[in-house]
Amino acid sequence: MTLIKDLTKGIYRENPVFRLVLGMCPFLAVTTSVENALGMGAAATFVLICSNFLVSLFRNIIPSKVRIPCYIVIIATFVTLVDMVMNAYLPDLHRSLGIFIPLIVVNCIILGRAEGFANRHPVLNSVADAVGMGIGFTLAMVILASFRELLGNGTLLNINILGSAYQNQPLLIAILAPGAFILLSFILGFFNILEKRKGGRQ
Amino acid sequence: MATRRFELAMSPHVGASQTTRKIMFDVVIALLPALAAATWFFGPRALLIVFLSAATAVAAEYLCLKFMKRPVSFALDGSAIVTGMLLAYNLPSGVPLWLPVLGTAFAIVVGKQAFGGLGHNIVNPALLGRAFLMASFPILMTAGWAAPEAWNSSADNTWGTSGIVAEEMSTIPMADAISGATPLNVLKQTFDLDASAVNARNEGNTAEAASLEERAEGIRSALSCKSTYMNLLVGRSGGCLGETSVILLLVGAIYLIIRGVLELRLPISYLGTVAVLAWVFGGSGWFNGDPLFHVLAGGVILGGIFMVSDMVTTPVTPKGRIIFGIGAGLLTMVIRRWGGYPEGCSYSILLMNLVTPLIDKLTLPKVFGEVKKNG
Repeated sequence: MTLIKDLTKGIYRENPVFRLVLGMCPFLAVTTSVENALGMGAAATFVLICSNFLVSLFRNIIPSKVRIPCYIVIIATFVTLVDMVMNAYLPDLHRSLGIFIPLIVVNCIILGRAEGFANRHPVLNSVADAVGMGIGFTLAMVILASFRELLGNGTLLNINILGSAYQNQPLLIAILAPGAFILLSFILGFFNILEKRKGGRQ
Repeated sequence: MATRRFELAMSPHVGASQTTRKIMFDVVIALLPALAAATWFFGPRALLIVFLSAATAVAAEYLCLKFMKRPVSFALDGSAIVTGMLLAYNLPSGVPLWLPVLGTAFAIVVGKQAFGGLGHNIVNPALLGRAFLMASFPILMTAGWAAPEAWNSSADNTWGTSGIVAEEMSTIPMADAISGATPLNVLKQTFDLDASAVNARNEGNTAEAASLEERAEGIRSALSCKSTYMNLLVGRSGGCLGETSVILLLVGAIYLIIRGVLELRLPISYLGTVAVLAWVFGGSGWFNGDPLFHVLAGGVILGGIFMVSDMVTTPVTPKGRIIFGIGAGLLTMVIRRWGGYPEGCSYSILLMNLVTPLIDKLTLPKVFGEVKKNG
């Protein structure tokens, strides 16, 4: 029962981006297209699952004084893995994500879950938590990226949706940095209204 | 209804006759002469753009207030109309008609109502709308300059959009190569020419460098002659709708001063800084710039009268206002001289809007009897 709860809470109730407002850096930076968002989401989810698994496994061995360096070593190991695999098999995606792949090491969602969840919960729950958070993060990225790609480029997953007439004069700001902030604020506002209507946390 | 025996009200108890509504409609009236100039020089399309913009502003404000369940009467306090008009004044005449509508909607919804409405917005909504359009549609926002010549060409055809009259044009070497559509575009070209001249000189190509410098100098002297000043004063030059006619903008300013709406510290410190810095580094080298040209060309008069003096987004303390004006003037000139855009008026004011709370805090006057704390 708690396993399912740990899994699902990351998707909406404790969505890392929309409810906890974590991981803003990759969230704002690489959501220029749905493809990038999916790639980033998959990479971060993989690292998150692996690191939560290992941190939870070693939670009784790691001395609490040096736990943060230990987490970083574990996370960095998997990030290096992702970096190399992506470079070998998905060079285009790797190029467009650029510096944000190595920066997964300092992604606060991953470190936050290691510190806040995996180091005090059993292995299975930690993995469930990681899967849920990973899906939540990916989902949030895809939502923002859909808006940005659609408005800023007229496409979704590189498929032309709004027609070539729109593509000649797209709302360029949507794929620029300010557009990310503006759209994020609207989405956060929307979720806050939703929560308010439900009478939940405001 | 029974008469209340005691009126209970919060202080201050002495009311002034000035209300938001009165001030805003004074600003609208002050903006009208410039609208007349825009219509005369750019044709009835200018009127349409301004009207669309103002109407969208009021509609967007109404819908926002409705959505947020606040009194919808705020939509008619005139501030939305001012925002809409100012945004339209910042557009070239050739823009497609959906552009002012989109820009104004953004200005009101994101720039103003999202922050809590009039009095709570951190930056000037009209300028935010312009920055939004510049970032989204850079081509449309800079391509519509050519229109004034097409309209009214029968009346007076001796001027181009650059504001340089034909006879002066003929004195410039290779004048046909001037492609700038506004006076400031042309000035920017002279800086580019100077830069290429330096490059040519470094490569040892002295003859080419000399000819480039001569051309830049020729254009500059044509920009700084009496007929160009005259064109800029009257409004016979390319530019945004509202910034064309300096004289008619000043008419609006005088009206505002008489009505006690315009506080002079801001415009004077702003325009003064622009003029001084134009002399310092607005020309080819140091201390040989043309202050008159820099003040007359582009949007600094429009910005100086109607945007620098925005009551919500500028400091309230007298000292703070002077700091604000100087800061905005400095940024304007830096962008004009070294920035990527020919005109820096709007961005400079936006940037200074962001530090307004800081300026207010630093220049807060001491309360009477207060002693400076040690440490």
